[in-house]
Amino acid sequence: MRDLIIIGGGPGGVSAGIYAARKKIKTLLITDGFGGQSMISAEIGNWIGDQSISGYDLAKKMEEHLRAQEEIEIVDDDGVCVVQKIDGGFSVVTKNGKIFETKYLLITSGSHRRKLDIPGEHEFDGKGVVYCSTCDAPIFKNKTVAVIGGGNSALESVIDLLPYASKIYLLVRSEIIRGDSVTQDKVRQHPNVEVVLNATPQEVIGDKFVTGLRYKDMKGGEIKDLALEGVFVEIGLIPNSDFIKDIVARDDYGAIVVDSKTQETSCAGIWAAGDVTDVLYKQNNISAGDAIKAVLNISDCLKKQ
Amino acid sequence: MAKITIYSTPSCMYCKMAKEFFTKNNIAYSEHDIAVDDAARDEMLAKSGQMGVPVIDIDGKIVVGFDRGAIEAALGMK
Repeated sequence: MRDLIIIGGGPGGVSAGIYAARKKIKTLLITDGFGGQSMISAEIGNWIGDQSISGYDLAKKMEEHLRAQEEIEIVDDDGVCVVQKIDGGFSVVTKNGKIFETKYLLITSGSHRRKLDIPGEHEFDGKGVVYCSTCDAPIFKNKTVAVIGGGNSALESVIDLLPYASKIYLLVRSEIIRGDSVTQDKVRQHPNVEVVLNATPQEVIGDKFVTGLRYKDMKGGEIKDLALEGVFVEIGLIPNSDFIKDIVARDDYGAIVVDSKTQETSCAGIWAAGDVTDVLYKQNNISAGDAIKAVLNISDCLKKQ
Repeated sequence: MAKITIYSTPSCMYCKMAKEFFTKNNIAYSEHDIAVDDAARDEMLAKSGQMGVPVIDIDGKIVVGFDRGAIEAALGMK
């Protein structure tokens, strides 16, 4: 039986893998890719040690750093679907049907995009409904689009679109925009941007491609239609924690509850770090640090045995 | 040899991954940057019915996104 299985290959999982290898903990890391969610970012400016690096290059560097370790086993084309308690540890079943056993488990599986969950969204996914503005903004050159959301990712999506789209509606559900004030000013001052507050999306309309978006003005109560060709969804994240929901405690949002001193979960023998947890701030550097904290704690527990 | 055309944008990391996959496997491809080439953008929309990159045309078989399994299948690699 292995000492440790790390689930995930983002900044948390990779950092944990490197520390575990250097501690000579018998470790397996299971992931379906490296770099985590910021892999698709065109530019990351806050990864410590790099003034500016693309998400792609950062993912490559992380993978290389991990693979340079001698003492680690890596499965890089698989995910985890079930975890079960067994005598003296856990059994992990992967999506490809492999089974691995381990004493301890560290979950760094990150999170994924929240969807609008309204009619037309699924139907027009890839036909005007967009979840990666960095990738697809140029397709909407000279077109009218809407960005849904009020946080930083929504504002950044507007910034991605400014060089291309002729008109950008920013639809915010609440009465205020939550994103950074510097970015807010940049967005608000641009003549091509129209901010619509108190707007709840109701339906994505289209035929072959998206032709419009229906929303409810929560103040006046009336239903309004916008004629447009792109809907960029930036409304937050959902932790990738379903596979472990019967074993560890999660909060109302599905985030795994952890002890911030040690990263232990409610289940002895399982640690978690990064965006999958109830950590207040979701950041690459924080995920790395928290995952390292978990490995050091795991190392202490192994020594005590 | 299959004729491969990839429709991409410069900021799309999945496009980079797809191109890297072809390079690694010594497979030649041509590329259209649809951020600057409007005609290629329209061609991509018509071929795929999709507004997302990358779109990869492998001898007329259309693969949307960097779907390694689908690309390998279209190339008869598996």
